[in-house]
Amino acid sequence: MEKFDVAIVGGGSAGLAALKQLSNLGKQAVLLESGKAIGSKSISGGILYSKKPKHGRAYNVEDVYGQEFVTEAPLERSITKYILHATSNEKVFSIDLSSAHSYQTNFAYSVLMNKLNTWFAKQAGESAEKYGGGIIPGVHVQSIEWNNGATIVETNELERFQVKAIIAADGVNSEIAELTGARQKFVPEELYQGAKVIIKLPEQIMEQRFNISENDGAAHLFSGDIAQRHIGGGFLYTNRDTISLGGVYHYDSLLEKVVEPYELINKLILNPMVREFVKDEVPQKEEIDKTLPKEEQLRIRFAVSKLIRTWQDLRQSYYSTSGTEDLIKSGKYKTREEIVARLDMIRKDLSSKYRTRFITDYVELEYSAKLVPDGKRCRMKKPNHKNVLFVGDAAGRGIFVGPRIEGINVGIDDAVRAANAISRSLDRNNFDYEYLGGFYAHSVDESPYTRDMKQIDKDYLKIFLNATKDIPKDIIGSRYSMIFKLMSSETFRGLAVGFANILGYDRLLPILESEETYSKVPIELAEKLGKRLTSDYRPSIPSIAERVSKLKYDDDTVSHIKVNKPTSEFMKKMVLLCPTKCYSIEDNQVVLQHEGCIECGTCAPETQWRHPRGEKGISYQYG
Amino acid sequence: MESSRLKISVIIKLEPDFSEGNVSYNSDGTLNRAETKSILGPHSAVASMAALHAKVMHGADVSVGTMGPPIAEQALQQSQLLCDADELHLYSDRIFAGADTLATAEVLRTGIDKMHDGEKSDIVFSGHRASDGETGQTGPQTAWKLGYPFFGNVIDFSVDVENRLARVTRLVPIQGLYDVIEEIEAPLPIFITIHPSYKPTFTTVSQRLSFFKCQKEARDRAALYKNYLKTFTAQTLGVDPKLVGLPGSPTIVYRVEKIPRAKTSRMAEIIEGSNQDQIRAVAKKITDMIKVKEI
Ligand SMILES: Cc1cc2nc3c(=O)[nH]c(=O)nc-3n(C[C@H](O)[C@H](O)[C@H](O)COP(=O)(O)OP(=O)(O)OC[C@H]3O[C@@H](n4cnc5c(N)ncnc54)[C@H](O)[C@@H]3O)c2cc1C
Ligand code: SF4
Repeated sequence: MEKFDVAIVGGGSAGLAALKQLSNLGKQAVLLESGKAIGSKSISGGILYSKKPKHGRAYNVEDVYGQEFVTEAPLERSITKYILHATSNEKVFSIDLSSAHSYQTNFAYSVLMNKLNTWFAKQAGESAEKYGGGIIPGVHVQSIEWNNGATIVETNELERFQVKAIIAADGVNSEIAELTGARQKFVPEELYQGAKVIIKLPEQIMEQRFNISENDGAAHLFSGDIAQRHIGGGFLYTNRDTISLGGVYHYDSLLEKVVEPYELINKLILNPMVREFVKDEVPQKEEIDKTLPKEEQLRIRFAVSKLIRTWQDLRQSYYSTSGTEDLIKSGKYKTREEIVARLDMIRKDLSSKYRTRFITDYVELEYSAKLVPDGKRCRMKKPNHKNVLFVGDAAGRGIFVGPRIEGINVGIDDAVRAANAISRSLDRNNFDYEYLGGFYAHSVDESPYTRDMKQIDKDYLKIFLNATKDIPKDIIGSRYSMIFKLMSSETFRGLAVGFANILGYDRLLPILESEETYSKVPIELAEKLGKRLTSDYRPSIPSIAERVSKLKYDDDTVSHIKVNKPTSEFMKKMVLLCPTKCYSIEDNQVVLQHEGCIECGTCAPETQWRHPRGEKGISYQYG
Repeated sequence: MESSRLKISVIIKLEPDFSEGNVSYNSDGTLNRAETKSILGPHSAVASMAALHAKVMHGADVSVGTMGPPIAEQALQQSQLLCDADELHLYSDRIFAGADTLATAEVLRTGIDKMHDGEKSDIVFSGHRASDGETGQTGPQTAWKLGYPFFGNVIDFSVDVENRLARVTRLVPIQGLYDVIEEIEAPLPIFITIHPSYKPTFTTVSQRLSFFKCQKEARDRAALYKNYLKTFTAQTLGVDPKLVGLPGSPTIVYRVEKIPRAKTSRMAEIIEGSNQDQIRAVAKKITDMIKVKEI
């Protein structure tokens, strides 16, 4: 049997950071990822933070990958604006939270997980190779066995092999956690469901619209009626030439008021402010004359599609400084004016020859969804089991407090701590529970992120309240105005936070996270203080079937999910809550069609849930 | 002294790209070679993959050779991308033109002898046959000229480098009715033509790691393939002009059948949308078609 020092299960941002850090320390590790390619299974909002906490140390992405991360990684935009919007129908009231966003922050970039993880993998893979390790995509770990002191990894695709320690970075629906009994499956009270779409928007149009410079970006958060009385909210982040738009909602509130995840996205898109944010000029094909000969119809269809594609690509380049430069450098065009002339010509051709219309609409590229662990409630108190260390989403770690959404940076911090702990064990050849796992658990406990999951940071609260200081408190009719008022006083805030933290975060959460804070208060704010906005076009929102048809799958012949009880109330709710409508009801029984599954994990609580075998299942292009 | 490292040679061919959209015909229905794009032949690609397999499993040295016009370089580059070749040979000379399989085999044999710094190859791989009107004889004839035992239709192989033994699995057609699988052990050197169904598999962690490493090296190398390329003329190769090109080709082509241009019989109908009625319309079309077929 082959032997390696360390196996890392899962090639998301956390697993890859673990591999890179182990290689930085000169240690051998192999990373196994079930997706066909690295990056094909991860999704995020997503903003990647680098933090400088006042107390304790956070291991940041640049600590792992070096300063070249900032200059070389495929980062979308540096997020400098952070604005929270309270919505109610056409009314929107906005609060600038940029100061809260930059609190203890070195930098924050919008990122697309597929691109970013591919870059991480290149760095980590090359380093790992030097020590006899590396990355193996397309391999699904199916079990871990301890036999006579040996730790054996079993996969669906490869021969068994032996390791000294394991890092489980297999995400929120961690099979390793379940198989080893390290923790129970997460339950809805401990989870959020996140869903998002990627929307296309040319670079310079984005910069103008969001009032940002060439490399800067904006984040817009939404609460109020768009939440449809759920706990959570919407987000819109600017990437280079796309927008990430979606929502993160507490799973138990979704169970209580069941709604399709894409309906929440649709509701957000229909908000007049969002409508104006995402709109673009979109060609709309005219029906082809059905009386024409069939061959002529086909010829027209292809000609129109080709022209539209050329127009879209050229336009995308035209609205990008580097795109225009590349076109001119390639010699295809001499000046910007030439490009404009060509664009006009194609447009004219399209409208005169083929009666294509150019309308105001928006263009979706990819739909995705995944569960998100609510670290406040579900972080593993002991993120270790035997010689397995859990990191990132697999360990239930993520900071989701009000407008703070952080998981990627937290997973990277965990990964460094796990790699450091294993490196120390390798040096001493000591993999005892305490020496390895105990050391790691202690290190994680000391992470500033763990503190953020356990208690309220009064300095953050102060900045947050400062941002809201101009809101007249007496307009909020509920008990929250009182709390707001009291909290605005420095002395009281110190006392209250101290008291609250003694009382325990867990007990405060139901007050902090409720329909009132996420829906009612924002709606009141919007109604009383908000501006009425208008948008005079109606976005043609794709149906769920159209969204799914754009996704890339390699379907497995056997289902990776088995329904335990097809008649349970929970499973019946899956008919609506599954983001890709994999469940339907026949004869009062829930039936699963696994082919459309995007592996979000929503149905996991009451199913035998596994990831598909290596290379199978969903492959996201953006993530 | 013979080094213990396995020496693999591959012979490949540049062929017209018969995939949709790339092939072009003259008005009389014959292939328009000038306008049809050329690529590494699919059978040659499979042979290249077999070489990569040997490289991953045993760390072999791989040389690839082809006889053809200067643009056949492209095929060598594509093959290198697949097999991470350490050396590329192009045998290109006007006097090679008009060669039949025997004359081609003479050039290839001479070339193979020059691979690996003139050391003997342990295994020579070639494709099953070419796609552009070849009869599958170049491989066996080259093997015969090299004096190597020949194995055709090979679907799997393994090598015991230390004992210099190969074990090959091949398909043997029984009276054209069905295939039996035959496993044979043979001392090196040998000549193998690879069956199109061959697919290399890597089942251990080390094999996968080494496979990815080779793939990466192959990408880097193929980007600079000219650094690995040696071009030979009849003279530099040192072949006997009487044995190559037209003079070396005993085959007389009596008649060539035209490749009839495939008629498009498909009449596609596109039904747009995703609502129930449209889906029903599609389903009806399909069931109607099936019914017609059944009748
Ligand atoms: C909508 C949404 C918005 C978010 N917004 C933000 C944000 O703005 N900022 C932020 O910091 N965080 C955000 N997060 C959270 C963040 O995306 C996650 O915390 C982070 O991506 C988790 O990384 P990970 O490496 O732990 O897990 P994952 O990225 O899920 O990676 C796990 C990997 O393990 C693989 N795997 C699983 N099981 C196996 C197995 N048995 N064998 C082999 N491989 C396996 C999977 O294929 C996958 O590639 C958001 C999340 C969502 C869903
Ligand atoms: S079947 Fe389950 S895991 Fe798959 S997409 Fe639906 S809810 Fe998510």
